[in-house]
Amino acid sequence: MNRWIREWSVVGVLALLLAYLAWRAPAFFQLQPLLSLLAREAPSLVVACGVAMVIIVRQIDISVGSQFSVCSVIAGLLAAAGWPLAAVVPVAVLIGGSLGLVNGLLVAWLGLPSIVVTLATLVALRQCLNLVRQGEFVNLPERIQWLGLSQSQGQWLLVGGAVGLVAVLAWGLRHLAAGRWLYAVGSDAEAARLAGIRPRAVTLGTFVLMGALTGIAAMMNVVQSPQVQPLTGSGLELKAIAAAVVGGVAISGGRGTVWGVLAGLLLLACISPAMVHLHIDAYWEKAIQGLIILAAVMVEGLRRRRNHAR
Amino acid sequence: MRAEPAHPPAPGAAAGPSWRRWLLRYEVLLLLVLVVEWLLFYHFGTSVNRRGVTVGFGTLDRQFDILRHSCEIGLLALALTPVILTGGIDLSVGSLLGLCAVVFGGLTHALGLPLPVAAALTLVVGAVAGGLNAGLICQLRLPPLIVTLGTYSLFRGLAEAFTRGSVTYSDFPAGFLVLGQGRWGGLPVQAWLFLAVAVSVWIWIHRTVAGRACRVIGFAPEGARFAGIGVRGQLTAAYVAAGVIAALAALIYTSRLGQAKADAGLGYELFAITAVVLGGTSIFGGRGTVTGTLLGVAAIAVLKNGLATLPVVMRLNAAEELAGLLTGALLLAALAAGKLAERLRLSSVTG
Amino acid sequence: MTRSFVVSCLLLSLASSLGWSAPDSKLLVALLPKSKGNAYFISCKAGSERAARDLGVELLFEGPVDSNAAKQNEIVENWITLGVDVIAVAAENREGISTALRKARREGIKVVTFDADAMPDARSFFVNQATPQGIGEALMDEAARLCGGEGEFAIICATLTAGNQREWQREIERRRQERHPGMKLVAVRPCDDLKDRAQSEATALMSAHPKLRLIMAICSPAVPGAAEAVKQAGKKGAVRVIGLGLPNENRRYVKEGVTDTVILWKTEDLGYLTVQAAVALAKGELKAGASTFKAGSLGEFRIEGDNILLGKPFLFNRDNIDQFDF
Repeated sequence: MNRWIREWSVVGVLALLLAYLAWRAPAFFQLQPLLSLLAREAPSLVVACGVAMVIIVRQIDISVGSQFSVCSVIAGLLAAAGWPLAAVVPVAVLIGGSLGLVNGLLVAWLGLPSIVVTLATLVALRQCLNLVRQGEFVNLPERIQWLGLSQSQGQWLLVGGAVGLVAVLAWGLRHLAAGRWLYAVGSDAEAARLAGIRPRAVTLGTFVLMGALTGIAAMMNVVQSPQVQPLTGSGLELKAIAAAVVGGVAISGGRGTVWGVLAGLLLLACISPAMVHLHIDAYWEKAIQGLIILAAVMVEGLRRRRNHAR
Repeated sequence: MRAEPAHPPAPGAAAGPSWRRWLLRYEVLLLLVLVVEWLLFYHFGTSVNRRGVTVGFGTLDRQFDILRHSCEIGLLALALTPVILTGGIDLSVGSLLGLCAVVFGGLTHALGLPLPVAAALTLVVGAVAGGLNAGLICQLRLPPLIVTLGTYSLFRGLAEAFTRGSVTYSDFPAGFLVLGQGRWGGLPVQAWLFLAVAVSVWIWIHRTVAGRACRVIGFAPEGARFAGIGVRGQLTAAYVAAGVIAALAALIYTSRLGQAKADAGLGYELFAITAVVLGGTSIFGGRGTVTGTLLGVAAIAVLKNGLATLPVVMRLNAAEELAGLLTGALLLAALAAGKLAERLRLSSVTG
Repeated sequence: MTRSFVVSCLLLSLASSLGWSAPDSKLLVALLPKSKGNAYFISCKAGSERAARDLGVELLFEGPVDSNAAKQNEIVENWITLGVDVIAVAAENREGISTALRKARREGIKVVTFDADAMPDARSFFVNQATPQGIGEALMDEAARLCGGEGEFAIICATLTAGNQREWQREIERRRQERHPGMKLVAVRPCDDLKDRAQSEATALMSAHPKLRLIMAICSPAVPGAAEAVKQAGKKGAVRVIGLGLPNENRRYVKEGVTDTVILWKTEDLGYLTVQAAVALAKGELKAGASTFKAGSLGEFRIEGDNILLGKPFLFNRDNIDQFDF
């Protein structure tokens, strides 16, 4: 309990929000809309987990939104050109992975600060896309949507897939040697190096994995609608980072869990529909979102302060 | 450079004055980039139009436009420099600009307060908002990134709630519009304000004990505490100053556009951070200069505005996209070059 | 430091001696959309390019990537120093842009507005594709027709702060009060011009308001977004979708019967007419007080005061959508 105070405080705030919704707006808990909500958030969850891993190795990636858009648009164009889904998905993952590789090489090998590198790639990729597509939608062929399944099968598959992926990542981070390397490098790169870990390789690998996850997430989003908007994913980086840090991933590296990220993302994802269900005017939304983020992290601060005073 | 504060050497770096050489080199590098940019745009972006008037980059008007357009982002970059030096970050400055703009609009229009009073109160709001950040960061010891991510949303949200998203304040008196649109002593009025803020921040960072303390905190917060530096006080000063400068930027923004609206300054924090890091300030804190920030702001502003004057870019109708692309490239190239220079120097020292 | 300064001074004087001049006899027309990535303005651009070819003038088409009032001002100021002959603006913010436009007029540049007007004293003519009033009425009337005059509806807009969106909402509300008091607006949700977000918002709206009869999407990405949400919720026919958008983005939903009506003026014609009017103004052929204006291949348009009227907004539906490709 003590160790996971941040995660629990987020879960607590989320539970409070849900309880309030159950009291004031029980309609929130209908199966079909809730399933849709979860399916819509599944890509963000995957991206947020990737970002969390990057933060755990004491780096940051703010270019995920642009990577997401690039993967989505290229995947959409390929699908529109008649490629089968079985070929489009690996290509999307590959593109995501190589974008991650570029970031990773610049960060790990040139030793540039990751926030700067990914700030540059955020802007550069987004503007490239603007230049090439000028905002035009990509219309997809029918068979792409829901991977050729029925809608509810597709939605369950996406939600299940995202949760499965999170479970695998959670297990891997906890039980695989490679997972522990992330924490080691994030806590103290020099100590990790002395312990026989190669911090650069770990950092590079994390960025590549992050990119590949973004590619997967982009596909999870593409299959949910018959059109791709090139602007898709803009602002995703902020949501993913917010989910990660609210969910207890320490920005200073070496600490955090994928489960915390899941709780953080669910909290953030619920705010907007909750506003709709509680009939609160939209112009209050950002202020309330800010307050909820602060509330979720303040618990930890207050507690530490009390311990400190003791 | 006599009173330049003692600077802890980077971990693993050779001792001695090498860091100073690096700084000098990096800033010279940036200055060169700026000069090259300027010359290129001067050469290719100036022309004589069919009315026989010289137009484009090489005109004085154009240079003033660049000054005026980059003033708010420049102010935010100056506000962020001390914060980032302490190893912190403030993502909320752009939102705060928006909040202060509508607060100012509300005070003058809805409450009918006289302009100077409203302006002063707006600066107070900026200080209070900065104080909120500082309080959460220092008193509760929460990470600055999370706190200001929260207030980033909160301040913008308050601005929207305050105006119900729709109210736009305009029709400001001409006397106020001078601040953003007029000239004084040959220069745009806001350039003088910018200069004053730049000099103040420079003195603070490079000529006072407090400024030195900021760097020490950025390098080693625990060490700073043990060295007897009032960490909380210094941090509070940095965030409150950032709030006040953001409020000042809001006043200038409102005056330049002649309107105050909840979306003022949307996304400006990103530009400001870009300028600061391009200026050579380490995002991890401890290392950086105000001069670098100013050069960073100028390099980006000249690039962005200069591109728009190039005939070829105008034919492509792609000034904004290209500016984004090139800013990204410039950022990477500058930092990689700085890094490379550092490596070369290290190898020459050790080997 | 000193050396580099000397070098830069030398380079500077070298560069200034190589003064660059490219006199150009063609009229230079600059068109400023609200956001150049928006499909609506992309199709405007096609029309304006056609007009520029017809008239033999040079066209600049530059705008913010996202709707951004401050950015629009900067672009206008860039054009002033560039010395364009005539500027045509779709104003993101009425008051904000007017400052820059007045400055342009003082410098002898002609100014017209299109799509969304600036302050009357900041431009000569407004090419009026459909007044906010016309749009508000068309949307509200169509909504009421589809719902049989009563029921709950919700609006999805781009952002809460965008000027034209607010104006349309005001007109929609006015029309509702006057003509359709049985209709009830239950929520207004922003989607940040993101189709995906519009889809999520529409899903939440439908589950929060079980009696919702119609979603009105007043920014173009929101129309297909809302339609997809309705389709996925299995509420086709129970919750109607109408909105302001382009045929190509909505074709499949209109054909499936998810989206009932897409309201739009013919954007290509708007671009064409705007450039025609701008050039005529710059050449002195179009003067204040005129009552008609002949625009190339499109024929004559009526002028009311200083508004050149493109005509009523056009309603795309299942029957006529295949006649249009943009």
